[in-house]
Amino acid sequence: MFLNKLINIARYPNNVNQLSNLFQRCLISSTPAAHNKLTVNKPLEFVDLKEGKDPVQNVNKKIQNSEAGRLFAVVQLCGKQFKITQGDVIMLEGFWEPTNGDQLRLEKVLLCGSQDFTLVGRPILQKGLVDIQATIIEKSLSHTRTHFKYKKRKQYRRINFQRSPTTVLRINSIEINNSVDQNEAQKPSDNVFF
Amino acid sequence: MNHSQFLISGFLRPPFYNGVGRQINQLQRLTIKFCKSHGGSKGMRDFIENHLVNYAKENQSVVVYVKPRRHRSPVIVAEYLNGDRRWMSAQNRNHEEILKWLSLLSLQAGDTEPIRYRKNWHTDCPSIQGPWTPFTHKNPAFNNIAFPDKELGKQLNMPETATEKLLRLVQEQKNTKNE
Repeated sequence: MFLNKLINIARYPNNVNQLSNLFQRCLISSTPAAHNKLTVNKPLEFVDLKEGKDPVQNVNKKIQNSEAGRLFAVVQLCGKQFKITQGDVIMLEGFWEPTNGDQLRLEKVLLCGSQDFTLVGRPILQKGLVDIQATIIEKSLSHTRTHFKYKKRKQYRRINFQRSPTTVLRINSIEINNSVDQNEAQKPSDNVFF
Repeated sequence: MNHSQFLISGFLRPPFYNGVGRQINQLQRLTIKFCKSHGGSKGMRDFIENHLVNYAKENQSVVVYVKPRRHRSPVIVAEYLNGDRRWMSAQNRNHEEILKWLSLLSLQAGDTEPIRYRKNWHTDCPSIQGPWTPFTHKNPAFNNIAFPDKELGKQLNMPETATEKLLRLVQEQKNTKNE
């Protein structure tokens, strides 16, 4: 849902100032009618890339000087998307091989953001750009789910109890390793399957 | 049927800072009680003969107590660092089943059986770019409007009225004639 909203914003070509293969900056405007009528104290500023206002450069500078602050990311894990930040705990349901104490790097990153900028993947961010480390802290079973089937007047009654395995993960760190948009040639390789 | 009458619901509350530096096994103590002669303890006796030493080697942080007692059914008691105590009967279970249950108990972080989690996510920092408001990503010009505003308060997607349709048709005819 969270990502769909962002995608919806980015979908309209008028609103999107496409900067590069990787990177999009969204300029959200209201209806044209409202634009004409309103008097604006400070009009919307359109970014001129030549005057050192390139958002990609600014983002890179923030990353290099480690001024990005706390990062969050949207990752996909076992078919579900989670919005995570450092120190979060998430729970996955269903059979999954890794066990307690395993350290993982989550690679299917759909979005990564900080206070000042957001990197949106199309559909996922370049491999190696964002480094997300996680530790598995618990393997357990879910609560008992009752599956009760009943048909009236048909002498049909089935009751089943089911508990599915769950895995609890702790997110250790979210870091941006590379500078954005540096190696355009390095695209997600074909031998990666999700 | 109201499920919540029987099931406690709750949120993910993992042990404090477990997994931040390293992961700590939450199972503290394991007590195995069994009978040396009765048939119900057969599986438990097999387990002790075949698997228990390996299990203890693999889970070095767990203290395992083995407690034989006459003519009582076999029992597993697991005690966790958060104070939870999980009691399980192992009557008539074979040694493979017991091994499976024990490996599950050693991976758990407490007695989580009776809890239905309402969310599969826990965070201490729910928003980094600020929570969404109706004014997020809106034109800052909206701050200067005095409401009620006729232009903005207009109903959207109004169907075309008959008058408007006629006017449009006339205009179209004029255009075609001019061409």
